[in-house]
Amino acid sequence: MNSIVSALPGKITSLFGKLDSPYLNGGQQLAVKYFSVATVLFFAQLLFGLLAAIQFVAPGFLFGWLDFSVNRMIHINAMVVWLLYGFIGSVYWFLEEESGTEIAGLKLGNIAFYVLTGAVTIVVLVFLLIQTGPGKDTTIWFINEGREYIEAPRWADFGIVAVMLVFFYNVAGTFAKGRWSGISGVLTLDLIALAGLYCAGMFYLTNITADQYWWWWVIHLWVEATWEVLVGCIMAWSLMHLIGARRKIVQTWLYIEVALMFGSGILGLGHHYFWIGTPDYWFSIGGFFSALEPIPLVAMVVHSVYDAGVHQFKSRNHPALAWIIAHTFGNFLGAGVWGFMHTLPQINLYTHGTQWSASHGHLAFFGAYATINIAFFYMAVQKWRGNVWMGGELPGNGWKWKWAMALLNVGVLGMTVALLIAGYEQSFIERAMEGSTWSAYFSAQNHPWFQQAMHWRLLFGLITIAGLVLLIWDLVTIGKGETRPALQLLEAE
Amino acid sequence: MIEPVALKDFFITFFSAALVILGGAGYAGLYAWAKLRGNPRLLLWAYACYAVLAGATFLLARATHLNGQWQILVGLMLTGYLLAPLGIWKLCVASHGN
Ligand code: HEM
Ligand code: HEM
Ligand SMILES: [Fe+2]
Repeated sequence: MNSIVSALPGKITSLFGKLDSPYLNGGQQLAVKYFSVATVLFFAQLLFGLLAAIQFVAPGFLFGWLDFSVNRMIHINAMVVWLLYGFIGSVYWFLEEESGTEIAGLKLGNIAFYVLTGAVTIVVLVFLLIQTGPGKDTTIWFINEGREYIEAPRWADFGIVAVMLVFFYNVAGTFAKGRWSGISGVLTLDLIALAGLYCAGMFYLTNITADQYWWWWVIHLWVEATWEVLVGCIMAWSLMHLIGARRKIVQTWLYIEVALMFGSGILGLGHHYFWIGTPDYWFSIGGFFSALEPIPLVAMVVHSVYDAGVHQFKSRNHPALAWIIAHTFGNFLGAGVWGFMHTLPQINLYTHGTQWSASHGHLAFFGAYATINIAFFYMAVQKWRGNVWMGGELPGNGWKWKWAMALLNVGVLGMTVALLIAGYEQSFIERAMEGSTWSAYFSAQNHPWFQQAMHWRLLFGLITIAGLVLLIWDLVTIGKGETRPALQLLEAE
Repeated sequence: MIEPVALKDFFITFFSAALVILGGAGYAGLYAWAKLRGNPRLLLWAYACYAVLAGATFLLARATHLNGQWQILVGLMLTGYLLAPLGIWKLCVASHGN
């Protein structure tokens, strides 16, 4: 037994070592490790989402074994974690190229990866093993902190913060050693904000209003401010790399995006302070600023039209570029359109916390963040294979990536529409007509529109996971045996 | 402070809200496209999109009772979506130039 345990770390590192490729630099080898765990967690996310979706149509399913609360929790926490893994991996990926030097403290970065992955594994196992029981100080520390999306217990929080410090040291240290750029400057400042905000979600307060107040700092100021800027940096670098966009252009864009995003998104936070016991002035602040949040997303549409016109989409990696386009539209639709539809307090009064929010949540998280990570996976696998051809004329006409993309997008859009119908019905019947009573809740839940929507969601969920299986298959096979080199683009500074 | 939407106006609220943003994107995208192609016909379509946006904003404002200080928001949305694409376009050209 003892010898098995002591041999385990070696086994695990040699397993991940199999992912190494002679074509990659140190940061990129580490990035591939992050990407592979991200993919596994993406799959876990959908698996547990499916279990939760089945429980909506068959409530007794797995009851007492794997409760809805647990499935839902793993579904959304796995989502946050895999997206972060993807982002961290993407930053490690371009760190050396962007700074023009070798990564600072790579060894520490590698250790941090194993620590983080070990912690994530333990947290999930504990979620599964201890599903019910009283909430106490000890459970906050060791089992579950109870804040939606970031439910890891506090011991893991400290681990996460420590790992983030190492990551930050890798990033800032490397740029300081090499050279700074507009992208790296914005990135470094954004990472400080992103990691700092996480701390706002680590303190339990007995007053639920105060607790939620700070919790939203993490959730909202992540997805509507710091994450948007982070993907802006990743996008800027990707566009230079993929279509040979000029640095000056993408950086100017990045600055505008940061200004517009922070200008509207920070106070847009108020759209979560309508009904949680915070003062009335949040109605105006939240309504005003969040109504302006779609403007930067509209600006990105202009930019993509411009770039399409200028570059005619000549790219060195078709699947990656297709997913980047999906990101632009997904961000615009999921966050911009779906977000705006329920952001004014005059209507949010009815839609708040219904499937409406879930409809928006699915489209926005997938459209804005899953897509750009998938794009990066394709860029990574291209270089991992030896910088091979990934333009048009792939074997089989690239059917795998095309079908994976179609299934994933159709699946998520289908779920989004189903949830929209359910949410509309809930706000109408439960909230507006029957006045938010307990019995009103049940009449809405039992309404045929709601019931049918839950079946449709399950069906489209199956389509989504089929798309993911195909995507994974494609990622592990694309470029295998390819002998043509990648298209060369002029990367002007 | 706020006057909630009436039951009968639910649909129009969601619908007009979506049209505001879609109209904004249509206007911005077509404006850029028209300038890129030097095609004034497309510019007309761009303004048509803006007209949709303006009409939708009006409907939304009525359905959600955007009176009093909320009128500022209506003004901000109308001018913000009108001017942002022009500014963005200028920056596009400037930043893509040599
Ligand atoms: C990519 C960016 C975005 C993501 C990933 C995102 C995601 C989410 C998620 C998951 C929720 C549900 C939170 C919960 O569990 O209660 C939510 C709520 C909300 N979002 Fe977004 N969102 C984004 C952008 C936006 C934008 C730009 C707007 C407004 C224009 C917006 C408006 C809202 C509103 C009003 C709520 C509260 C819904 C309620 O009252 O239940 N979101 N968002
Ligand atoms: C196989 C596909 C999927 C299925 C079956 C599924 C199912 C579910 C279910 C049943 C819930 C709980 C809803 C509730 O409490 O009423 C949920 C919540 C959520 N899911 Fe999914 N999901 C899937 C894919 C995704 C994807 C791809 C994303 C984003 C990348 C995502 C993001 C979310 C979010 C943010 C929530 C919380 C929403 C809220 O509370 O407002 N899901 N999902
Ligand atoms: Fe928000």
